Amino acid sequence: MRLCLPQPFEDLGHVADVGVRVRGATAGEALARLVLAFASLAAGGGEVHAEREERLSVEGGPGLAGTAVALLRELLYRLAIEGILPAACEVHSVGEAGAEVSVAFGRRDPARHAEGLDLKAVTRHAARLEPEGAGWVGQVLFDV
Amino acid sequence: MQLRRIEGDLWEIPREGGMRVPGRVYSVGPPAPDDPALQQVANVAHLPGILRFSLAMPDIHWGYGFPIGGVAAMDAEHGAVSPGGVGYDINCGVRVVTTALEAEALRPGLHAVAAQLYRDIPTGVGSSQAIPRLSDRELDDVLASGARWAVRRGFAAASDDAERCEEGGWLAGADPSAVSARARARGADQVGTLGSGNHFIEVDRVAEVYDAGAAEAFGLVPGQVALQIHSGSRGLGYQVCDEHLAELARARGRFGPEYDRLPDPQLACAPIASEAGQRYLGAMQAAANFAWANRQVMTGLAVRGLLHALRISERELGARLLYDVCHNVAKHEEHTIDGAPRRVLVHRKGATRCFGPGDPRVPAPYRAVGQPVLIPGDMGRYSYVLAGTAKAMEDTFGSSCHGAGRLLSRGEALRRGRGRSIAKELAGKGIEVMARSHKTLAEEMSDAYKDVAQVVKVMDGAGISRLVARLEPMAVVKG
Repeated sequence: MRLCLPQPFEDLGHVADVGVRVRGATAGEALARLVLAFASLAAGGGEVHAEREERLSVEGGPGLAGTAVALLRELLYRLAIEGILPAACEVHSVGEAGAEVSVAFGRRDPARHAEGLDLKAVTRHAARLEPEGAGWVGQVLFDV
Repeated sequence: MQLRRIEGDLWEIPREGGMRVPGRVYSVGPPAPDDPALQQVANVAHLPGILRFSLAMPDIHWGYGFPIGGVAAMDAEHGAVSPGGVGYDINCGVRVVTTALEAEALRPGLHAVAAQLYRDIPTGVGSSQAIPRLSDRELDDVLASGARWAVRRGFAAASDDAERCEEGGWLAGADPSAVSARARARGADQVGTLGSGNHFIEVDRVAEVYDAGAAEAFGLVPGQVALQIHSGSRGLGYQVCDEHLAELARARGRFGPEYDRLPDPQLACAPIASEAGQRYLGAMQAAANFAWANRQVMTGLAVRGLLHALRISERELGARLLYDVCHNVAKHEEHTIDGAPRRVLVHRKGATRCFGPGDPRVPAPYRAVGQPVLIPGDMGRYSYVLAGTAKAMEDTFGSSCHGAGRLLSRGEALRRGRGRSIAKELAGKGIEVMARSHKTLAEEMSDAYKDVAQVVKVMDGAGISRLVARLEPMAVVKG
């Protein structure tokens, strides 16, 4: 399922940095929401206009949480170097070995995204991508 | 979490389960037993080769793996090195530059100074190009030479700036070839940039002197203007930490069961002597050198900015680097343990080295009084200069606090800042502020931080570092 900005996420209220928690019916949906929570934080809630679509594969682990962290690390690097942000995301596969996703990217706009956070790293601390109740939960802390 | 009071503001987390040593926490008031940062102190005590205690300074707060404010010394031969024990912003640190200017005389030119600093030193998300993008060869030189690279290129308050930095402004174990292409790409155009978050440049006045002898040695006089610069290794350091954490997280089982059973994946570590450990140490030290070069270039830009804005001579400005300290680093140091000298790797994550009087590693001008310990507070109140003590060498591997420590999450700070103009509130206190984003000002407002006066009082009371002077902000530049 392809998900577009904005998507719901919870702020974990980390004292020093920023943590998010998302929920989904499947692991893929929760992972896509983590990707879009990352984009929402970096864009300061501003719209991201998709300009191009890319299919990305990342090696994952340890665990599904490690795969989620690996994907977000790749997206953070692309933001730092190319100044691009996800506007939409579709997860084709996700497992402990890795993930394959399609991401629609748009440019970070200094004016539209002026209130965006400077997300500097994706941490493993308290990272989750696991079943909870009838669905899945994803959780990541970003260093800012 | 069980806690036992040792004396005064010092508390112990008794050893239990897989902890190799007890935890020791300096605390502003009794620690809250449910504070997750205390569990992190206990977790750090599981690391292979940790010696004496897993320590936390009074500005402790919840970090990743290690708490912010954490100190851990490892046996240099048989211990572990943990990228999480250094943190993402490798050698994030602070420096103070003193001047010959009088605060009251500067007041009419303060806006021009703040505006000039804001123009000349790139700030904010992804800030870059303070100086032309570095070639690979130049970047190698930065990664190997640290602050000395920038001094050689004329970015300095004075020619001996590097000697007035912790470790002389460079770590000799740096291995530029261990810094990946991705890390280089993130850092090549960021030398001389401030960044965002809690990084800042301040124009301060020396508001009060507590120790006249040490203040004289440090060149601090009441009413004098000083600059503070707080920043780190920018994207390059983050990428170095990130890559090594990822590698070590995947390799946990490779180093044996004691490395596989750590209570938090963010504590991923490697034996210091292993190839992975040595590669991290080489890259981390190169990133530390990058951070020193970054602060040194900003120092040169700030000095030029003041000269230009005030139209005064270098002699009239009288800029001198007081000192530059690291807040996030792991360093090989010699400490006395059980009466004998021992080589250890001291991880300081959100902590400051504070070597005492007579230590040959303290620059000669300060050796009689102890190392300057620079403790920034928040942008609306004050910062402190302290001096290292012999007791710190005995009790904390020569370590002290590093700042105020956050009290509110960024989200909560934004909620409390809603409807307020932080810039106007600061202006009402005579503080000029320039920032890229109103949101940053709300996130970084004084209410979001603990009172640093209480933090340094704990360190002073415990004899770990002693108060020398208080600085108060006149102008603040934020990302």
